[in-house]
Amino acid sequence: MPFRHIYFKKDFCSGCNMCVDVCMCDALAPNPTKGEPPIEQYPDECWFCGCCVTFCPRADKGAIEIVTPFPMRGAFAKTKGQVAK
Amino acid sequence: MTTPSRLNIIPLETDVLVIGAGLAGCMAAIKAAEKGDLRVTMVDKSNSLASGAAASGIDHIWSYIPPVHEKMGYTIEDMAEDHRVGTAFGFLRKDLFYLIAGTMYERVLDLERFGINFRYEDSKTPGRFRIVQQFQSVPTSFNFDGRPLKVKLTAEAKRRGVNIVNRVHMTDLIETEGQIAGAAGVGTRTSDIYFFRAKAVVLATGRSNRLSRNPSGINFNTRIPGPLSGDGKSMAIRANLSIINGEFLGGRLLTPCGYYNPNYGDPRNTVQPAARIVDSEGKVIVDRTEFYDWGKLGQEPFDAAESRRKWLEDRNDWRRKRGALPKRILKGEGPFYLDLSEATDCEKEYIRWSISHEGKGTQFLRYFQDEEGLDLREDCQEYAGFANRELSGTAAMGVWVTSDLETDMRNLFGAGDEVGGVPWAASPGAFTMGWHAGHMAAGRAREAKAFLPAHDDAVKARREVCANILTGERGFHWNEVELYIQNLMDFYCGEVRGKELLERGLERLQYARNAKLRAENPHELARALDVMSIMDNAEMVLRASLERKESRPAFDFYRGDYPEQDDKNWFVFLALRKEGGGSFSFRKIPIEG
Repeated sequence: MPFRHIYFKKDFCSGCNMCVDVCMCDALAPNPTKGEPPIEQYPDECWFCGCCVTFCPRADKGAIEIVTPFPMRGAFAKTKGQVAK
Repeated sequence: MTTPSRLNIIPLETDVLVIGAGLAGCMAAIKAAEKGDLRVTMVDKSNSLASGAAASGIDHIWSYIPPVHEKMGYTIEDMAEDHRVGTAFGFLRKDLFYLIAGTMYERVLDLERFGINFRYEDSKTPGRFRIVQQFQSVPTSFNFDGRPLKVKLTAEAKRRGVNIVNRVHMTDLIETEGQIAGAAGVGTRTSDIYFFRAKAVVLATGRSNRLSRNPSGINFNTRIPGPLSGDGKSMAIRANLSIINGEFLGGRLLTPCGYYNPNYGDPRNTVQPAARIVDSEGKVIVDRTEFYDWGKLGQEPFDAAESRRKWLEDRNDWRRKRGALPKRILKGEGPFYLDLSEATDCEKEYIRWSISHEGKGTQFLRYFQDEEGLDLREDCQEYAGFANRELSGTAAMGVWVTSDLETDMRNLFGAGDEVGGVPWAASPGAFTMGWHAGHMAAGRAREAKAFLPAHDDAVKARREVCANILTGERGFHWNEVELYIQNLMDFYCGEVRGKELLERGLERLQYARNAKLRAENPHELARALDVMSIMDNAEMVLRASLERKESRPAFDFYRGDYPEQDDKNWFVFLALRKEGGGSFSFRKIPIEG
């Protein structure tokens, strides 16, 4: 399945590959070019644990971001009190 | 991708080998390495920093908590009885329950020493803990800052000199004359074959997973991490060990989004129960849970029987209403929602804090808040909490062990979700059984003077299987075969099971076993090994479902051809075992009250 849900910001990612190291699913691979952001090699094997983000030394700058795949979205009703009377 | 020609056999020796570096494995390794006199090796198919069911954290663990429960007048026997009748529906190994409930508090104190925070200034409980109700009639579950658990446990294991071997998928137990002599595995990034020799082994690979199609269409959008594929149970059944409760493994989940669903405030069900379940008209189906008033702790006499009676009444009412939701959907009703409008701001903040320490919680929160603009004060979450069958996923199914966690193979111990017999053992089961298994394994390793001769037949056979998958012009991708198994399980081993369907399921499973798998690289090979484990687990579930000739609604186990519950013949643990010749045998193990 062609999901696109892990995004790297080139300007902030140092290519340290910490995310590659900790990914429990081995979904990421180091970039063949040193210093470049890793490659999301197996996107449909992600469990969305978020460890790639929490372990990223530049997470605060948004060097890596997980985008929730579309089939998993929209689980909240914007009710503004409509549902629960 | 080029085909690696590695498949080198890497021999390693260790006194204690721990297979799986989740919570149970880490605790086993830490305990076994306590005195520093043994070589302890811990192997994981991922990285111990972020692996296992608690890879990215867990926010709750149940325990008997002496400083709180003694003051309350609640005994550990009361707790065991609550768990037996209200949570395990009678199917409880009380000996293992006492090991878990009776030692978890000591493990909490250990976890504090390893750097995990359990104490809060705003708490009104003795010890300043945050304690909520979960599986028993009184509050017994700690909430805590559990996100960094795996990082802290890995650091502690390293500090004690544990040799951590990451990215090796263990595949085979090696036995010599009824005793464990070692184990074999395959490097997930190298395809090298690891041949461990060990004096004692702890098996702790966790739950079986990926046996059912995910409704979101996303493979690994499962409740517990995708990499968990029941490898330990697969190794155990092939090593002629007994597995119990295979028939109770849960079926597929009914939800539009799969398991990307935090269930904020789900009443009774989890540990943030300030929401109520409502229908689309806003009519309340299940009321919110009231939190325990710690101000009254020890102020009034405690009546365990009365506490249990009230709790069971409420719990049965909740089960009935919640269990009716899928049927209501089939009648065209729904959707249903979790509504937090009766929760206080303080409780909503507590939910946010708690969720952020649990599993995928951080991702849930970021996505729902930042991208969807979730406002807990006003928005309702679509409720997808009607996955009753998942109970069996939490350690009801597992390896049969003694009270000291030893399997039928001498010096091989099980721990955590690998072990069957305590429904919802989950993380407390992992912490406590891990610790005890580590203690037992270390003792046996000290007793053993030398290594047993370990034959390399299994290692060579595994190398051949891997070589076969890595070579050849054609073959099926692992994911094709996995989807086949999931379709098979959902159809032939679904909500209501029957003899002919189950037998046909077994035939089709055999068809899958004959499929030629093809992997282009070490990663795909490792996934193919996952699928081989999944096939073994699927077979255990099919066979056990076929053998249990009754229905047991408490576990959502229904046989269309045996619709009645039959306590006279079937109030037993059903143990499945593969015999030397490849046939399967069953034995009924009485359940001790």
